Amino acid sequence: MDAEAKLNCRAAARLLLLAAERPLDAGELNALSHHLDACFLCKNFSLQLDFLHRASVFYAAGQ
Amino acid sequence: MSQLPAERYAEIQSHQGYLMRYALAQLRDSQLAEEAVQEALLAALEGIGSFDGRSSLRTWLTSILRFKVVDLQRRAVKERAQADLGEKVSAAVDEGWIDEFFDESGHWRSPPQAWNDPDAALEQTRFWQAFEQCLGRLPAGAGRVFFRREVMGDETAAICQDEGITASNCWVMLHRARLALRGCLERNWFGREPADGR
Repeated sequence: MDAEAKLNCRAAARLLLLAAERPLDAGELNALSHHLDACFLCKNFSLQLDFLHRASVFYAAGQ
Repeated sequence: MSQLPAERYAEIQSHQGYLMRYALAQLRDSQLAEEAVQEALLAALEGIGSFDGRSSLRTWLTSILRFKVVDLQRRAVKERAQADLGEKVSAAVDEGWIDEFFDESGHWRSPPQAWNDPDAALEQTRFWQAFEQCLGRLPAGAGRVFFRREVMGDETAAICQDEGITASNCWVMLHRARLALRGCLERNWFGREPADGR
């Protein structure tokens, strides 16, 4: 992995949030997945964003 | 003005349900609708002397209500514009929305905790109360765009167009909403020790 692809948590969180609004490009996805493999905090954050989405869909279904 | 006969009072009151539905259809907000109907009923009780009986009581009441509804609509639009202006200004601060969550080296200031079995929460009534409370605490614009994006499932581009703001400001509103909602649920639900019967 080259140095440019290394993200800090701030950049990783930014990409995770962006991913909810638009598809990430290959470079962004690659950098993000490397970061998530190594960082359990951002992994937590990622799972939580997924959960927010699931919860909203449940809510919309009349929960 | 002579005292209102109880019969007349009851007659006015009997139209309250209709008036409420009328106001709700126009205002789409039960609190505002309630307010409009209360104000209209009050004005009707005060001005009943000028009711000449040429139109039906319901028509007369509705004409009073219409003024109240327009009044409240104007007020709501004005308040919304002011609230949104505040949000837009803060959204425009470059990347400030994310900086508050990270230190200078890009590490989490308050590291996201692992949420214990979050999907189990979806089955719990009290979780949904917390979820609604957290939704309600979002700034007006952020709450609106998040609701449309996630609950109604609209496309981001369409939402941003309706909001009449730039895509980047609109995305920042969505980012902020997600961060705020996540934080609120962590504080108010997942941060607690699981208790029985919840």
